[in-house]
Amino acid sequence: MRVPLTWLRELIDLPTNDVTELGAILAMLGHKVEGIEVLEVPWTDVVVGRVLEVSPHPNADNIRLCQVEAGGAPEQIVCGAWNFEAGAHVTVARPGATLPGGHVIGRREIRGVVSNGMICSERELGLGDDHQGILVLDGEPPIGAPFETLLELPDIVFDLEITTNRPDALSILGIARDLGAHFGIMSRLPDTVLATSGQPTRFRVDIEDPVGCQRFTLREIEGVTVDRSPLWLRHRLAKVGVRPISNVVDVTNYVMFELGHPLHVFDADTVAGERLVIRRASVGEKLETLDHVMRDLGPEDLIIYDAEGPTSMSGTMGGARSEVSATTTRILMEAASWDPPTIMRMSRRHDLRSEASARFERGVDPGLADLANRRATALVSELGGGSVLDEAVDVVTGDITPIVVELRTTDVERVLGAGFDTETITDILGRLGMTVEGGEPMRVTVPTFRPDLTRPVDLVEEVARLHGYDRFDATVPTGGSGGLTVEQRRQRVLVSTLVGAGLDQAICLPFVGVEEASALGYSAGELLTVRNPLREEESKLRVSLLPGLLAAVRHNVSYGASGVGLFEMGTVFTTVVSDDDPRLPHQPERLAWAIIGEVGMQVMAEKVIAADAHVSLGLLRLIGLALDVDFETIRSAPPGFHPGRTAEVRIAGTAVGHVGELSPLTASRFDLGPTVAAAELDLAPLVAPREPHTAVSPSIYPHVDYDLSFRVDADLPSATLVQATIDSVRDLVETCRVFDEFWDSSLGEGKKALAITYRLRAPDRTLTAGEIGRIRARMIEAAIDLGAELRGS
Amino acid sequence: MDPVAILERVIAAAPQAVDAAGSLDELEDVEASLLGRSSEVADVRRGMSTLDEDLRPRVGAMLNEVTERLNGMVAARRAMLKRSAETDRLTSESIDVSLEAVRFPLGATHLIQQTIDEVVDIFVGLGYQVASGPEAELAWYNFDALNTPPTHPARLESDTMYLDWGDPGDEVLLRTQTSPVQARWMETHEPPVYVVVPGKCYRTDTVDATHLPVFHQIEGLAVDEGIVFSDLKGTLLHFAREFFGPATSVRLRPHFFPFTEPSAELDVSCFACDGDDPGCRVCTGAGFLEMLGCGMVDPNVFEAVGYDPGAVTGFAFGVGVERLAMVRHGIDSIKHFIDNDRRFLEQFR
Repeated sequence: MRVPLTWLRELIDLPTNDVTELGAILAMLGHKVEGIEVLEVPWTDVVVGRVLEVSPHPNADNIRLCQVEAGGAPEQIVCGAWNFEAGAHVTVARPGATLPGGHVIGRREIRGVVSNGMICSERELGLGDDHQGILVLDGEPPIGAPFETLLELPDIVFDLEITTNRPDALSILGIARDLGAHFGIMSRLPDTVLATSGQPTRFRVDIEDPVGCQRFTLREIEGVTVDRSPLWLRHRLAKVGVRPISNVVDVTNYVMFELGHPLHVFDADTVAGERLVIRRASVGEKLETLDHVMRDLGPEDLIIYDAEGPTSMSGTMGGARSEVSATTTRILMEAASWDPPTIMRMSRRHDLRSEASARFERGVDPGLADLANRRATALVSELGGGSVLDEAVDVVTGDITPIVVELRTTDVERVLGAGFDTETITDILGRLGMTVEGGEPMRVTVPTFRPDLTRPVDLVEEVARLHGYDRFDATVPTGGSGGLTVEQRRQRVLVSTLVGAGLDQAICLPFVGVEEASALGYSAGELLTVRNPLREEESKLRVSLLPGLLAAVRHNVSYGASGVGLFEMGTVFTTVVSDDDPRLPHQPERLAWAIIGEVGMQVMAEKVIAADAHVSLGLLRLIGLALDVDFETIRSAPPGFHPGRTAEVRIAGTAVGHVGELSPLTASRFDLGPTVAAAELDLAPLVAPREPHTAVSPSIYPHVDYDLSFRVDADLPSATLVQATIDSVRDLVETCRVFDEFWDSSLGEGKKALAITYRLRAPDRTLTAGEIGRIRARMIEAAIDLGAELRGS
Repeated sequence: MDPVAILERVIAAAPQAVDAAGSLDELEDVEASLLGRSSEVADVRRGMSTLDEDLRPRVGAMLNEVTERLNGMVAARRAMLKRSAETDRLTSESIDVSLEAVRFPLGATHLIQQTIDEVVDIFVGLGYQVASGPEAELAWYNFDALNTPPTHPARLESDTMYLDWGDPGDEVLLRTQTSPVQARWMETHEPPVYVVVPGKCYRTDTVDATHLPVFHQIEGLAVDEGIVFSDLKGTLLHFAREFFGPATSVRLRPHFFPFTEPSAELDVSCFACDGDDPGCRVCTGAGFLEMLGCGMVDPNVFEAVGYDPGAVTGFAFGVGVERLAMVRHGIDSIKHFIDNDRRFLEQFR
């Protein structure tokens, strides 16, 4: 909402001229200042003049000599325009004047005659494109007055953000009222004195939809001349950002900005019959609107009908059939109170968002309709002539009496703290135009222009607003006893661990295309659909974190990264019913990673590790150590993953996801590959609380190291062999590690060799040579039970 | 010759000889010349038996003392030469300490995650708990429970993404704010409530420099007996100072939200210029930065979740995480947060 200071001053006598201070006050009243525009005078030395005499130029036919009075002795000015005669009030750029664009006016000779300055056109003054003739001023402005005073320049325009609960503040009057409340002074209404002809109007209005239309006022004006608006009106509209059209239309806009009530005008001669009916449209009806678009109407549309059918849409746009034109002489001025939700739906359905619909959507004061109509009618008859007929239509279907809210000081003090007595509250509410009666409770009558104030707490906000948010203390409540949960803390450990391993945390958009999801084995039916997506590619929600991560990996590769490791923790969406709330889909949190190329520690000149399934498995074990979770990995072939190089991950027998490598085909579908290490795991079981460990004191006895090498079936998991050998000697193995795995033709078909190194140490004694021999034998025996054969030690 | 004179001469000349030894080998030669078989000291020792009885004790004592002192001098010099040799050896092993021969991997926690953690920790320090809730949420929690009228424009498909899911009476959408978790938390917890809710939110916004269809918000809610407007102000002032620096000041401006009354927007003083630079790149001269929306919980919200609005009061606020991070780090486009470009992510390790 653009508010010119000069216009504002017409409705309130502000006690300060300090623009910065006014801006701060407006902001603290809840009208955020988005900008303060300073409108400068774009010329110097341009004054109002009167043409006393016009005579031909002795040496030219197309220009004339004018004697112009402009605040001193009459002077001669040569002028090439013909759109005026003696007596016209014009703008005179005196010798030495500077016009927009830096053009300096001198005293100069034109075809042998001295011209003492210039009579200006609108274009020369930068006011518009009109260069048909010079600017002839309306009325009788004072001769010699600086021209800029007629345009209220210089001026300041506040650009305010008006919150949706304050339709009343979408007007100069509303802002004046709020400033009045702040300063404790009264704002005033514009003049609405109306002279009528004594002839009654024959127009009648029937409201058949009292929900949609609470009030409808109509005035008829005869003998109007539709013309350009006077300069002052056009210039005020320009300041608030509206393009002038004609006096009649400009008046409706002017009053809308002034008072906050939108209006509409009909050409009365194009309205069929003399009865307007307001009701919902029927399917199949059509209406051509002012923008010459043929609208298909429906039962949600609230329409004004005349004898021929739909003639105007409520609150959004008038009809083309009854549009005011240059030849219009009889008009109907409409100011109606429309149902906000109805206008909101219509404006969106027909894509007709306007200054008017914006106001009606928020709620225009029904108490204001007749006042706005009178104001607009008065202005039209002032500017366009014509006489106003009597017996104006004012149909009221709703209750438009002000409401009464009961308010106790305790209501205020509970929310705002101590220090608000009835006197303070009464003063503040009174300044806002409310009447307050009684003590406890106070009976507060709320004016109809504040539809947002219906409950005690709404009045509490007004008290706070006018008291000033900046005057409240700053205190901190101490009643909380919080902290992170175990799961939340463990989740942070998880992030730190992956970051410590060199992975970057990614956050991807959770939308996915059907094709990407199908690359990972998800069918379209497993994807949750957004009913109103921004783009078709974003119409499905991710059921896996991997497509997003793979796209992000590809982004990095495209910028030349030789190794990229990304992980994400986030929600995925399924089409399974949630256990927590059966009305919702199951939406678990997941952890996933995707890694390609170089990973891990980099040592100069030494080959770095390239991401593969082993890297994924290594990361899994790192997480296991960091979070104290024992993972079981069982070879598995989920869709999209490499069937031989992927494991299902289990915690205590329960599957929690997969770790390994993507299949090269999947990788290629994401323009990656061939080898992408990847994993996707349920987050909840990873970060679930653990039982605390019971400490074991480190043994003080010496250790023994030895290696065992076995020939085993190629598909025997190394972990099974390792576990069997450890279990055979109980607590004596302190650490062990498979340090070699190889296949060789010498081993025989379907066989592999595993070399394991063990460190043994007893908690309570030094192991003797004999004991070590027996332990070793037991471990070998356990391996043999699994079909292994000792190759060496 | 007089043995005493010999010994005196030897001991007088010894320091210079010992110090002249520039290496361990040279020192061995010097040691041999001072104390070896053919040294003058050895000669004196061998001549002891030929000395007069009355001279013998004195010369003997002197001999022992000289031997001991010479040994001491040689040992000290040897230790010094050894140290010096070790130093030379270590110096010869010098490396280029500017060379990054071994590079340990270190990734980056996403800046959004870091920002969330930091804000959460500030409120945990004030005694808040951390809650979460579903991103695919019932319209009831996202709007109705938060006092949003059925006709509110925020509910329109032009603003909110709806899902093809479930019963038409229980419309499911992608939550547009973290506030529905407020309602869920209050439904399942009795007051007092001190909780923050970080999480993803969704709006039908196309991606540009300042908009994403998915962004992060942190919701805060305090409900207790006797919570007043000043508590909201003080809590947010504390937050602003912890996050932007101890000199930060805040300004509350009246605003409008359906779920709070009174409502406010919080501006924080510009941490870059503190309002002193009309050309400031952070606040563009305004001196303040618009930071978040907040207010006192509307009684209708309490009623929707089964709290007695006559018994408790509370405040709530919601802050955009992307905005916090962009403002503090001078990030020019919100798109950086979803591009997941390592070159961006790893600036914030």
